[in-house]
Amino acid sequence: MFKLNFKIALRNIWKNKTSSLINISGLAIGLAACLLLLLYVSYEWNFDKQGKEADQVYQILTNYTDQNGVISGTGKNTGNAIGLVLKEEYPEVKAMSRMTHGWQELIANGETSFKKDVKYADKDILQLFDYTFLYGNKDKALDEPHNVVLTESMAKLLFGTADVLNRTIRHQDKVDLKITGVIKDIPKNNSVRFDFLLPWTYHEQNFDWAKELGWTNNNWMTLVKLDKGADVDGINKKIAGLIRSHEKESKASPFLFPLSKMHLYGQFTKGESTGGDIEQVRLFMGLAIGILLIACINFMNMATAKSEKRAKEVGIKKTIGATRGSLVSQFLMESLVLTFCSSILSIALIELCLPVFNNLLGIELSVSYTNPVLWVSLVSVILLTGLVAGSYPAFYLSSFNPIQVLKKKNTRRGFGALSLRQFLVVGQFSFAVILIIATTVIYKQIQYIKNRPVGYSINELVEVAQEGALLEKFDLLKDRLIKSGAVTSLYQSSGSMAVIGSNFWGMEWPGSTVADKEVVFNQLATTYNFIKTNGVKLIEGRDFSEKFASDTAAVLLGKSAVKRMNLVNPIGQVIKYQGEPRTIIGVFEDFIWGSPYVTDDPMVITFNKEWNGTITMRLNNKRSANENIAAIEKIVKEINPAYPAEVKFVDEAYSKKLDKQKVLGILSNLFGGLAIFISCLGLFGLAAYSAEQRTKEIGVRKVLGASVMNLVQLLSLSFLKMVIIAIVIAIPVASYIMNSWLKGFEFHTNVSWVVIAMACLGTIAIAILTVSFQAVKAAKTNPVTALKYE
Amino acid sequence: MIKIENLEKVYKTEEIETTALNGINLHVRAGEFVSIMGPSGCGKSTLLNVMGLLDKPESGSYKFMETELLTMNDRERSNFRKQHMGFVFQNFNLIDELTVFENVELPLIYNKVPAAERKSLVNEIIERMNIVNRSGHFPQQLSGGQQQRVAVARALVTKPKLILADEPTGNLDSSHGNEVMELLCELNEQGTTIVMVTHSSHDASFSNRIINLKDGHVISEKINKARTEELI
Repeated sequence: MFKLNFKIALRNIWKNKTSSLINISGLAIGLAACLLLLLYVSYEWNFDKQGKEADQVYQILTNYTDQNGVISGTGKNTGNAIGLVLKEEYPEVKAMSRMTHGWQELIANGETSFKKDVKYADKDILQLFDYTFLYGNKDKALDEPHNVVLTESMAKLLFGTADVLNRTIRHQDKVDLKITGVIKDIPKNNSVRFDFLLPWTYHEQNFDWAKELGWTNNNWMTLVKLDKGADVDGINKKIAGLIRSHEKESKASPFLFPLSKMHLYGQFTKGESTGGDIEQVRLFMGLAIGILLIACINFMNMATAKSEKRAKEVGIKKTIGATRGSLVSQFLMESLVLTFCSSILSIALIELCLPVFNNLLGIELSVSYTNPVLWVSLVSVILLTGLVAGSYPAFYLSSFNPIQVLKKKNTRRGFGALSLRQFLVVGQFSFAVILIIATTVIYKQIQYIKNRPVGYSINELVEVAQEGALLEKFDLLKDRLIKSGAVTSLYQSSGSMAVIGSNFWGMEWPGSTVADKEVVFNQLATTYNFIKTNGVKLIEGRDFSEKFASDTAAVLLGKSAVKRMNLVNPIGQVIKYQGEPRTIIGVFEDFIWGSPYVTDDPMVITFNKEWNGTITMRLNNKRSANENIAAIEKIVKEINPAYPAEVKFVDEAYSKKLDKQKVLGILSNLFGGLAIFISCLGLFGLAAYSAEQRTKEIGVRKVLGASVMNLVQLLSLSFLKMVIIAIVIAIPVASYIMNSWLKGFEFHTNVSWVVIAMACLGTIAIAILTVSFQAVKAAKTNPVTALKYE
Repeated sequence: MIKIENLEKVYKTEEIETTALNGINLHVRAGEFVSIMGPSGCGKSTLLNVMGLLDKPESGSYKFMETELLTMNDRERSNFRKQHMGFVFQNFNLIDELTVFENVELPLIYNKVPAAERKSLVNEIIERMNIVNRSGHFPQQLSGGQQQRVAVARALVTKPKLILADEPTGNLDSSHGNEVMELLCELNEQGTTIVMVTHSSHDASFSNRIINLKDGHVISEKINKARTEELI
């Protein structure tokens, strides 16, 4: 029986080529989209979870309380003392590593030098994560200050091979380091990543401030690994007062938070985890299931639409002695055969799309075909899809009464079936319309944030890192660049215009209270030509100037800083910045320094020659940008030969801040589009079927004088009705969802009627196109051929 | 073999009630060939459907070899049907997706006959029906007469005690029609009981007994002497 049913299934698929193709390809696209999204979801889900004992790794976070004892914020940085104390005094703490945040440093193989991601960490880091050592000894790799552990691709970049143990590389053009380990590359979904890893002892050698143990010098992150089954809540209770017991003034209370949860649940309000990227993961889960459901609905609709053709078969089989169960299993089998074909196609599709998808999102997804979990989940998704898609047709078709279907040549479809089919189409299109509106709103929001005025002339602004010889020879660089004509103006500063650098508190100003000491300000240190170069708008006063020697003890304040300090005539007033008196010489219009999604803290720009790191330049717009860049690179390389000269455009750095939302935008556009496409594929199939069924009616009407237009109207109207009902359902749902999504942004656009109207008109237009293609085809057939079929 | 008493069947739609069977009494002995005739709407097809357990009457009794069938549930009816009855329809009702061989094999599969035995049974019957050279063809590739022979083969393959035929020649030209009727006669002579619904008195003349229905009543019964004598 199985064999026979299988044969019937295959012959049916072959006989109805068009509808099979629509079914299979629709389902394949749906499955591919769903699997792709699930792949992405599992990528996000497995963030920091790959290690064998990943669940035992915790990050030390700190809650800060304000004057009223309310938790005002949660910090992810720690000083360099707390980790040591935890490891010494708490037996549950098996391993501990402090580590620097990621940045790039110079590394050279003797000929070529590269700037690559570096981390300095305690040797315990090798116990925290189970890195796969290709070469070297895990227990000894970070023992000496001048040891270095490379990733495989870093080693290959430097030497062309991973077998580089005990070879020497030059770091920052100063120190020779011995390679004591080569590890497999760290997957992208890890929050602790690097190209080369250096010992903490080396970090301490370089900087005295790193050696001096402190509780509030929050420059690093600290991870610990606990014993299996250790009581985390108990430890958290014990350590809550740890910082305060060493620093009486401090209002910080540390706690351990699982590292594996940081990525998805790393958002804290009032000291409690309130989500994070998990919301995006949930969104994509929903999208994946939704798309698959749309494809399943297509499948059900096509199958039930064909029910009249299949009714006879059911009738005969029942008369001969088939039980309902055997028929149900037959139709389920058919759907499984189709799903199986689709899944093969979908795997091909995924393989085809994955590189593009990865490229778009800047991530590394891959299908590992040797992974049994993948196969189990793939097979279960396919089985589930087959069963869901096939269940309705199976139970519907097998319920036919044999005499009715065998007696009357044309059983009218039952009212129930018709309305369920309509219901499904309406549901499908509602979902599609919701997706279109959501996609458009997301796009609009991204544009809105993108178009927020940055507050300075971001175009033709470039920056280079101030490192190596550039630290000492800034003035020489300045002279040569200006003379070359490549730039019109430049300045050095503590950080980039596009990346938020530093903040502080404890400032005092005329009329400030004790509570005001807790106000957080952003700070940027610079010397001359700051405003001239970047075009920040000066409201009153002036920029730092070489003409006034006293300017070395001056500050510029942002408009919101002046407002926060309640200063009436700010120019000339003296404030206490970092404990020293500073005179206000200028007030500038606020610009976006941090995230464009939120208001920055009020800003202070201070004069400090020693605190540098970035050189920002305004390109000469009378010459081509390429020419300018080439000239700058040449000069920088000449002055600072040990370092690669990397000139970066500030606007590119700025646009990186929009990356995360861009991913959301891309994904929702892509999959929203797919949802519409699959829905239309279904509509196309249904319209084709309905036209085919009404061939005789169309013929008769034509003979009686109906025009093609009349017939197209006749055939399209019923479908259009469903689409319109879907739109009516979708509008309130979509606007509710998107309004609450937008409320999560400080700066946000709105769900305008234009968006909704456009989405609706777009959907209707696509639906009309889809249906009328079939309708025109049917209406144009020669009536004689149509009638001959009867 | 069949004892039908006081059978009543009413069709209800929103507006009209139609009495299809109105107290029918009918006995069929084993080995008989009975024709049921009557004008359109007289209830003859309904009667055949009830006899084939495809339809349920409102009241009455239907005994098949002393077993009361009307109290059975769906599963029991389906089992009983596939074991004891074969059907031949006016429009053949073959499954388009299956070949001749597979169509004939289907009832055996539902009766859970082992594969090897199925093969020999099917081959035997299609040989008898003279359609061996067509066994790999699909129904659309056959003429009407051939299709009906496949349908008869399918009805016979389980060796049922009763064959129910609903206008078996209705879609055939006269020469093919005669072929099918002769086939049925032959089966009857070999001991199969046949109940046939027909419009055509020519077809009815092949049977032993002709029952006339009108408005759900049996209005007359006629023994076909020619055939009956032949039988004796």
